[in-house]
Amino acid sequence: MHSDRNCPCQLSRRDALRTMGAGFGMLGLANLVRGGEATAGSPLEPKPPHFEAKAKHVIFLFLNGGPSQVDTFDPKPMLTKYHGKPAPAGNLKTERKTGNLLASPFQFKRYGKSGIEVSEIFPKLGECIDDICVIRSMYTDRPNHEPSLFMMNTGDKLPGRPSMGSWLQYGLGTENQNLPGFIVLCPGTPIVGPQLWSSTFLPAVYQGTFVPNNEIEPEKLIQHIRNKDLKPAEQRRQLDLIAKLDRLQLQHTGPDPQLEATIESAEIAFRMQAEAPNVFDVRKESEATRARYGDGNFARGCLLARRLVERGVRMVQIYFGDGQPWDNHDDIQIHRKLARQADQPIAALLQDLKASGLLKETLVIIGGEFGRTPAVEVSGLVAVQNGRDHNSHGFSTLVAGGGIKGGMTYGNTDEFGFKAVENPVHVHDLHATLLHQLGLDHTKLTYRYSGRDFRLTDVAGEVLKDIIV
Amino acid sequence: MDTVKTGAAVWMLLASAGLHAADGSEFFEMRIRPVLAKNCYSCHTSAQMGGLQLDTREHVLKGGKSGAAVVPGDADKSLLIQAVRQSERLKMPPNGKLKDSEIADLSEWVKGGAVWGASAAPLKTPEYVITAEQRAFWSFQPVRDPALPAVKDKKWSQSPIDQFVLAKLESSGLRPAHAADKRTLIRRVTFDLTGLPPTPEEVESFLGDRSPNAFAKVVDRLLASPHYGERWGRYWLDVARYSDDRLDSERENVYPNSFRYRDWVIQSLNYDMPYDLFVKAQIAGDLLPGADRDKLEPGLGFYALSPEFQDDRVDATTRGFLGLTVACATCHDHKYDPIPTKDYYSLLGIFKNTDLTEYPLAPKSDVESYKGQKKKIDDQKEAIEAFIKVQSAALGDVLAANTAAYLRSAAGEAVKTKLDQETLDRWKKYLDKTDKEHPFLKDWKKQNPDEVQALVLATAAEKKKVDDENHIRLGLNPSRDDLSKANLVSMDRDRFVLWRDLFGDKGVLHYQDKHIDRFLAPIFKERLDAMRADLEALEKSLPTQYAFLQVINDKDHPVNERVHLRGNAENLGDEVPRHFLSILSKGDPVAYKHGSGRLELAEDIASPDNPLTARVIVNRVWQLHFGQGLVRTPSNFGQLGDRPSHPELLDYLAKSLIENHWSLKALHREILLSSTYQMSTEFIDAAAAKDPENRLLWRANRRRLDIEALRDEFLADSGSLDLTPGGPAKKLTDDNKRRTVYGFVSRRKLDGTLALFDFPNPNSTSEQRLDTNVPLQRLFFLNSGFITAQAKLLADRLRPLKDDTARIDRAYAVLFSRPPTAVERKLGLDFLTSGGDWPQYAQALFSSNEFSFVE
Repeated sequence: MHSDRNCPCQLSRRDALRTMGAGFGMLGLANLVRGGEATAGSPLEPKPPHFEAKAKHVIFLFLNGGPSQVDTFDPKPMLTKYHGKPAPAGNLKTERKTGNLLASPFQFKRYGKSGIEVSEIFPKLGECIDDICVIRSMYTDRPNHEPSLFMMNTGDKLPGRPSMGSWLQYGLGTENQNLPGFIVLCPGTPIVGPQLWSSTFLPAVYQGTFVPNNEIEPEKLIQHIRNKDLKPAEQRRQLDLIAKLDRLQLQHTGPDPQLEATIESAEIAFRMQAEAPNVFDVRKESEATRARYGDGNFARGCLLARRLVERGVRMVQIYFGDGQPWDNHDDIQIHRKLARQADQPIAALLQDLKASGLLKETLVIIGGEFGRTPAVEVSGLVAVQNGRDHNSHGFSTLVAGGGIKGGMTYGNTDEFGFKAVENPVHVHDLHATLLHQLGLDHTKLTYRYSGRDFRLTDVAGEVLKDIIV
Repeated sequence: MDTVKTGAAVWMLLASAGLHAADGSEFFEMRIRPVLAKNCYSCHTSAQMGGLQLDTREHVLKGGKSGAAVVPGDADKSLLIQAVRQSERLKMPPNGKLKDSEIADLSEWVKGGAVWGASAAPLKTPEYVITAEQRAFWSFQPVRDPALPAVKDKKWSQSPIDQFVLAKLESSGLRPAHAADKRTLIRRVTFDLTGLPPTPEEVESFLGDRSPNAFAKVVDRLLASPHYGERWGRYWLDVARYSDDRLDSERENVYPNSFRYRDWVIQSLNYDMPYDLFVKAQIAGDLLPGADRDKLEPGLGFYALSPEFQDDRVDATTRGFLGLTVACATCHDHKYDPIPTKDYYSLLGIFKNTDLTEYPLAPKSDVESYKGQKKKIDDQKEAIEAFIKVQSAALGDVLAANTAAYLRSAAGEAVKTKLDQETLDRWKKYLDKTDKEHPFLKDWKKQNPDEVQALVLATAAEKKKVDDENHIRLGLNPSRDDLSKANLVSMDRDRFVLWRDLFGDKGVLHYQDKHIDRFLAPIFKERLDAMRADLEALEKSLPTQYAFLQVINDKDHPVNERVHLRGNAENLGDEVPRHFLSILSKGDPVAYKHGSGRLELAEDIASPDNPLTARVIVNRVWQLHFGQGLVRTPSNFGQLGDRPSHPELLDYLAKSLIENHWSLKALHREILLSSTYQMSTEFIDAAAAKDPENRLLWRANRRRLDIEALRDEFLADSGSLDLTPGGPAKKLTDDNKRRTVYGFVSRRKLDGTLALFDFPNPNSTSEQRLDTNVPLQRLFFLNSGFITAQAKLLADRLRPLKDDTARIDRAYAVLFSRPPTAVERKLGLDFLTSGGDWPQYAQALFSSNEFSFVE
């Protein structure tokens, strides 16, 4: 049992089930069970990584819809030069028909000591660029939202695989037992929806807890977090009665990890009621702090992410908005409006994490499911031809903190920003690197299901050694 | 990982070893064939686009409609080279250009004489051979009729099942646990067979029945109960990945008739439809000869309700019915089991030759009258929309022609023109906006209103021109495909934004629906009102849609599927006839002859000679009675799956099932009447040390109730359960009192309570429920409105009893099928006399472990 716990990769499905049941025994039940059997941990208790970890937490700021790399973090002077002309090598196949090259309407400016160029629509994020690694050579497999959202979140194009946050909890547990270990925030729902944070065949304990951050009242955020009828003292009395009944039963049944686990789960649930509403209430922050993050759902999400990570939550994922806001087929100028809502909160979050030292152990990922074409979209689905189609061949993802080198760019797209050509990074590689920073070997973090060992990175993935401190 | 890297390194070495055309076939294999395969084969092998096949040297020299593709030795004269250079009229490949290095290789190859590869049959994937060792794997062996093993303890065995189990226990030096007491047993078996708790009366009646077959009577009563199908049907729906909606990204997309499949599954189990027929109905219910089609056709929902996002039909078929992971062979031959890729595409071909369709359950006249009426409504809606669109556009033009006047008025000047107040307000609001997304009205007060008006009118005119042009380019009724291919014209972005802000759906000058009414001249208004009245009347008189089954049927002209090389649909290999899995065929598989081949597939799967079908289903049944299967990977009986703990017992059960005409009820009965099933959960130290996972079955497993049983138990105990069977699914809201199996199952957003308690993901076939244990589940017990409501109802139900002692006793009888102990009774009384009330106490009982677990 103990060796199983130390190496999550050895957990068989049944072991996992058993471990899960074998929970929390040391807290008040040792007198009821024989030997030390019940001291094995809960499935969410922190577990040692495979090797020394650089990062403990992940914050994934998901700009859903597919932000355009050439208008944000991957400047392409050639696009301006050849604006309105056909790309010399032709356009790559994307979902819809694209036409001539379209210059970015935004200026790029050098920021920080590193002098990395960032679009004018992200001025505050630009100020943080020395803490960020800009991966300019990301690529994925399909130019369609659903498969690419699945790929970025679960490592496979099709539904049915566990999400990244589920894998992390499975591998590492989480530090704060009074809060869920994987929390997903979105004002509304991203397209595809809950499948993106599902644990699928991993135990359900590892699924993401979805919190709609367009609500402000904590009670609306977490299902059943408050008892509407009982005062805490009354509920305490009730809980004590339940525990007494359960212990009487245990005397009768003999040791049973599942039964013991339930008793302790109830205690955690009780404590969660006190802690969670507090954590999820951004009104506990000063006016000044809230002003630094700015207004809006995404800003509130970023502030919540900081509060959650401070309290030991393993992974927080924030979807920028309902549906797919960054999907600007018609008019790339809309990126300016979206960036206005994203820029300030992301910068405030990075600055706060840096100030508190948490950035060292928190891996922050900023990006979407794919990028956009440097050529203008001309298919009849657009009303005006000033936008870009989906692009799976090349896009940018930003990574900061958690032992990632700041102030660097990695890889490159071609001269027009269509395709990753130098050091191409597949989503599997990003996942492998992420797990590596959390002290997990992506080839060893496996789960046996239906007779096969599954991984987040399927059968691929290379750790990007060059971006690691 | 290392081997992969090494492999890649070796390949790199070869590739960079300075090969040139003089090396003949090696150059071809390394440099030419991969380029042809990747870029050309999808059109120029058996598809013979342009008459050209590039699969053999002969075909290349013969060429296509335009002549020989290659003139050996002369690259410039070779059509193939001209085409890939894209220097002449013919440009290939159609969707891009080869790399320069690839073009150079091709030229060099032609110059060197276009030497073809060594292997004679270039496109044939190497013949897949199943080895004798693979054939000898346990699950592919015919089901045997095992001899009953001898056992020492003759008294314990009540059935052959017990003999198989006991023999193993005895040989391991273990003894079976004591028999469960009658209260435990009736609670266990009632939940097992019906998913409901026994009533106190049922418990008492069983306790009072001293006859030797008292338990058999209980089992027979429960098997005859309509609630049996509700319980076991739901388990089959896990396998069938049943859902009441589609995984739709944008909106809720509900199947209005999905419940007919769910109800058919439930009823079929209640009627004890033979399992072989149950299987055949789901694969080919429309094709079974001589059968009552109406009774079998609903089974096709197994496929008709497939997740549309992915093609999982082969996966659901093979894992569900056969316990084989054939979908692992999508991109390559199965790595562990004898399943070549071509077998996957052979089965896929069967499903690709079917269409999704509806099977109306109403007279033809009803269907036609519904469809006719529906069409009238759609036409009328369209007419109204068209009418409003024309009026709205005209109104926009009229208002635009007064732009200068509106601007002057907005700036505070007096104007003579009579202005519309709402439009003026809209203009003011818009003009004051500081974040306008175009540059034209930034400083509008300083601009000449007449010039602005001219710009607005010119912009409107330009938009019309662009729309007309695109209309011509697209033609009438363009499809999505046309839309994504057409090369359309567009106006300048900034002017478009101006147009959108003024004339678009939310534009300053745009009025639609009811808002347009006040602008209409009386005669137009009357016309519109009349059209609306007609629509309303039509809608009112539309009957509810006729019922129909969602089914599949065969396409008229079946075609074979082709292997997708490495799973890539654009890279096609051999055509494969539709046939059964090679490993399960006697000799070479024979191509199916009738239609898609579904009926033949159904017969092959549901055959008594199939070594897997019976084993897989008896194992599923066993798993659900014991908490784990004899094979613990119930949908994977392959190499990577579990090996059976009791192979002879598995075969005995499979054989019995077939001999009993595939009767599942007979199977249940045999299992439940065994001593093995009737053991207690007694904890035996020695056994736990030796066999902690209880694979040898030395005791019964304590099991947490799944969410359906749990939720139904709350409702049953509080006295509010509505046992109405069947019908459309309703969301599982707190006031939904029906059995959970009738709740709405969503692929898009699974109900929160179902998700919280490990309900399987309906996007793919599921083999097993998990029992997770998380604090969020306890919050549900502590705080959910559903539980507190049930607790109040239970308290109400007990109130008429004479005192708290009587109430506590009754509560224990209802919830736990037993009287409380003295300690438990005292705990309850103390709680109630020291400030706690009955609903709180009832909730505590609901939240205790005994409520959620079955011994």
